[in-house]
Amino acid sequence: MPTMTYLQAISDAMREEMRADERVFLMGEDIGTFGGAFKVTDGFIDEFGPKRVMDTPLAESAIIGCAIGASVEGLRPIAEMQFSDFVSCGFDQLVNVAGKTYYRMGLSVNITVRLPSGGGFSGGPYHSQNPEAWFMHAPGLKIVAPSTAEDAKGLLISAVRDPNPVLFMEHKHLYRRVKGDVPAGSYETPFTARIAREGTDLTVIAYGAMVHTALEATADLDGSVEVLDLRSLVPLDEEAILKSVRKTSKVVIIDEANQMCAAGAQVAAIIAERAFEDLDGPVVRVATPDVPIPFSPTLEQSVLPQVDDVREACRELLEY
Amino acid sequence: MPQMGVSVAEGTVVEWKKQVGDWVEADEIICSISTDKIDTDVESPATGRVAEIIVAVGDTVDVGVVMAKIATDAKPGEAHASENGVGTGEAAAALEAPGEAGELIGDATDRSQAKRYSPVVMRMAAEHNLDLSQIQGSGRGGRISKKDVLAFLENGGGAEEPPMHIESPYRPDEPAIKRKPKPRLQRVEEVPAQAAAAPAPAAAAAPAGAQPLSRMRQAIGSRMVESLQTAATCTTIAEADMSRIEAARAASKLSYLPFQARATIETLLEFPQLNATLEDGQHTVYNDAVHLGIAVSLGSGGLIVPIIRDAQDLSVEGLAKRIKDIAVRARNNQLKPDEVSGGTFTITNPGGYGSIMATPVINLPQVGILDTEAVVKRPVVITDELGNDSIAIRSMTYLCMSWDHRALDGAYAAQFLSALRKKLEAWPIS
Amino acid sequence: MATETARTEVPPDVTEHLTTDDRTGLLRAMLMMRGIEERAMTLYRQGKVPGSFYDGFGQEAVSAGATWAMAAEDRLCILHRDLAAHIIRGVEPWRIFAQYMGRADGITRGRDGNVHFGDRTKGCVGMVSMLPDMMLIATGMAMAFKLRGEARCAITWFGDGSTSRGDFHEAMNWAGVQKLPVIFILENNQYAYSTPLDQQFAVNPIERAAAYGFPGVSADGNDPEAMFEVVRAARERAIAGEGPTLVEAVTMRMHGHAAHDDMKYVPTAQVEEWRAKDPIDRQVRRLEALGVDTQAVRDGVKTEIEEAVERALQSPQPDPETVLDGLFADEPSLLEDGNAPWSGFRS
Repeated sequence: MPTMTYLQAISDAMREEMRADERVFLMGEDIGTFGGAFKVTDGFIDEFGPKRVMDTPLAESAIIGCAIGASVEGLRPIAEMQFSDFVSCGFDQLVNVAGKTYYRMGLSVNITVRLPSGGGFSGGPYHSQNPEAWFMHAPGLKIVAPSTAEDAKGLLISAVRDPNPVLFMEHKHLYRRVKGDVPAGSYETPFTARIAREGTDLTVIAYGAMVHTALEATADLDGSVEVLDLRSLVPLDEEAILKSVRKTSKVVIIDEANQMCAAGAQVAAIIAERAFEDLDGPVVRVATPDVPIPFSPTLEQSVLPQVDDVREACRELLEY
Repeated sequence: MPQMGVSVAEGTVVEWKKQVGDWVEADEIICSISTDKIDTDVESPATGRVAEIIVAVGDTVDVGVVMAKIATDAKPGEAHASENGVGTGEAAAALEAPGEAGELIGDATDRSQAKRYSPVVMRMAAEHNLDLSQIQGSGRGGRISKKDVLAFLENGGGAEEPPMHIESPYRPDEPAIKRKPKPRLQRVEEVPAQAAAAPAPAAAAAPAGAQPLSRMRQAIGSRMVESLQTAATCTTIAEADMSRIEAARAASKLSYLPFQARATIETLLEFPQLNATLEDGQHTVYNDAVHLGIAVSLGSGGLIVPIIRDAQDLSVEGLAKRIKDIAVRARNNQLKPDEVSGGTFTITNPGGYGSIMATPVINLPQVGILDTEAVVKRPVVITDELGNDSIAIRSMTYLCMSWDHRALDGAYAAQFLSALRKKLEAWPIS
Repeated sequence: MATETARTEVPPDVTEHLTTDDRTGLLRAMLMMRGIEERAMTLYRQGKVPGSFYDGFGQEAVSAGATWAMAAEDRLCILHRDLAAHIIRGVEPWRIFAQYMGRADGITRGRDGNVHFGDRTKGCVGMVSMLPDMMLIATGMAMAFKLRGEARCAITWFGDGSTSRGDFHEAMNWAGVQKLPVIFILENNQYAYSTPLDQQFAVNPIERAAAYGFPGVSADGNDPEAMFEVVRAARERAIAGEGPTLVEAVTMRMHGHAAHDDMKYVPTAQVEEWRAKDPIDRQVRRLEALGVDTQAVRDGVKTEIEEAVERALQSPQPDPETVLDGLFADEPSLLEDGNAPWSGFRS
């Protein structure tokens, strides 16, 4: 099994799908000759040509809107937001067109939008955001957020084949830091949660880069900690969440996103509603405070959840 | 100080659950008291604000003494008139009622924390019918966690019958210090007046960690000494083959105790002089009712002998249920005063720890106490119907009965044990 | 005087591509649109139509004429004052009434109201209220046609107010850059809700088309045949690979923005001037000059509408148990071809 970085796995997924299915094509800013801001599509234009690796104007609404138009005609576009932050410029097309069209008119919108997200590298307020919760609140959009190379490939392939709009949150911090065995060829990863590590005393629920933070933070704690990698935020794997909480009765939820109404808030609500009688302590959240992501490394690290923050939260809850 | 049973003359305040200025509802626990018969919580007789606490923690007063006063014209959240320096006297209701509960209280904050359980702990307690006060919490501030409950269940906390025993010198030290109702005892020990009551030289000479005896230990001690000094204690021991009981309990999943209790009750009705009390020179024999005392260990906190009234009416299963019930309630300080007096015979059962023989101390004014010890497999000689002897492995136990020679003689005791043995050895197996 | 002339003149011939049947078909589509909307307004006042109600009174020629030029495999993103487009593509009137009433048989099964619908089996996508979002959807469709090398085109309608929004620019720009087969119909009905043109833009958007690299053409939005002819030409250009066209359909919104709007902000003289240019009246005069029995057409439409209303009233309310259904698709469910009645496609 080949070893790949998270970034290579994303490229591999797109390459596999484009080779196998000529309906699949790419749209985005600087993705062609330049190969993308993060080089995810490096070399693609040579193999697939400019028609299928389409450099677009700097217009996120157009990228998403045109992707929708192409999809209802039977194509399977993969649209790249250069940074997930810029999806705000295409918000309307996602929320009001992509998310509502099937429900209103039975017309399916098979688009995949790749959103390089997350902070940790002094990107500042406009290159560090985790906007997934904006869209969790908008019915009709699926949202996935892989933490491993294997899942990055499998989830992206699933997203491309899913007849619905799927937002693919790919964490920039993981691009070259996470490596792993990735099955060759084509495979689909389901939009369900995965247990990243089994445990019995406490569950840490996370997704994306925070899965790695959780694993590191809880590796040597005095207590058996389960780490649940959500992988998919919409649909949210409620049964996996509840199963783990019922086992451990204590839960820490991590969001790299700003805390207010983040994905973790929904997870906490589900637990409060459906696992109340299994709880042996308060549901604890570790998330980024509700401020823009600051530029200074010192400031940025003081808001993004760090390994120590998570470890301390877990220790406290274990002792509760 | 309430009258907690007919023979109780005095009580000691262990803890005030409410302090002066606290609001208390009628029937809400206001204090804990300790008597030589029982430790118990006391409910407030009235709703109002605690105006005055008269009997301090650690003080021992006679039944009927006013312990505290509750202002019944106060309102929740409002300062009482007395707190503004306006007339106090008429408004304050004395909280003493002769022969009824007065009230007392301790640290309200501690109390609220102790009673707060997580949802999963509440659910598990309900599912397993657990008394959470029996579980020592390991969480923050002594909070009981799910882990604690699981450990408790694993250690048999919810098992059929916890071990019990009577005031026997063979009572092993309880390993389960955790189960000690710690705050309560600690509070008593911390009372300066209590410490001052101990002999000063002894206190000074005591090695580090020496602590005055708890109220209950003191009570047990004085009663044991009184028994040995008063009764003409003899101990007779018989041996019984428990093989049939073994088979019977295997089918019913019960412990030995309810079988032994049932057989003892039946035998007592045949030998009523042992089903009796001897007090003030009067030997009162009960011919048709057995009020059976069962010694229940409270761990290092001491022990208590709750009574199963009219035990002759109960089947083995009924006895098993009652024994479990009184044991749980004994450990939770939930026994009623009348449940710890009026017994006619006592069984003590420390056999769970492997001891095989003991000389129990009679629980006055009763005249007999049966100690049932461990059932162990031994090679024994058995004789078949043709008179041929052979050696077999059988489940054997010793039945050790202490009896008061003032009330009866050794032959009667031996006949009793022989009859009991035969009942056990001939137990019908369905 | 000009108004008087307008009331009586027979419109000039503006196209060589319509038969008498085509011309009658255009009248019929406009009559059907007006008839349905007037009848629906009655139902609205009777309390049978929830929400608000929007119509395209006076603008019937814009959607009728443009849609008449579209082929079955072409795709339409339709605005809420363009009911004739749905009618021409083949949506049955009774389902339109059911749609207005939020019934189970409406195109959106009660999930959306008014003319917020598009029948995917007729090659139509319904509008969303964030105008002109659909410009981008149509552009994306055109992009798909171009990628696959297909001789098809997409058309979309939007209003004068829409030209102020960023999506107008993004769609015009992208379509121009890619030379996409898309036709943009700027339905200039003089008011965006209550905002007149001079508060909407400093330069007529039709002039902006040049800035995006393709032509902008004005057409008489009150003449279905004029609309047809301009769009026919734009479509030819599109499928020839020459790129998009911006068509300004100059017309007038004769009713308020919605049922509640008494339109006091519009000068009476302006309304009267446009009333004289009613597109249906003009097409009737044109057909009568050709000897067509337009009264028979009217009668046929009237009968059909009454039957449609009766049938729609029988349609059940949507089942609340289904309200959560159909958020996500299990299988692709795409656009299909619609009706294309123009005789030009049969020759």
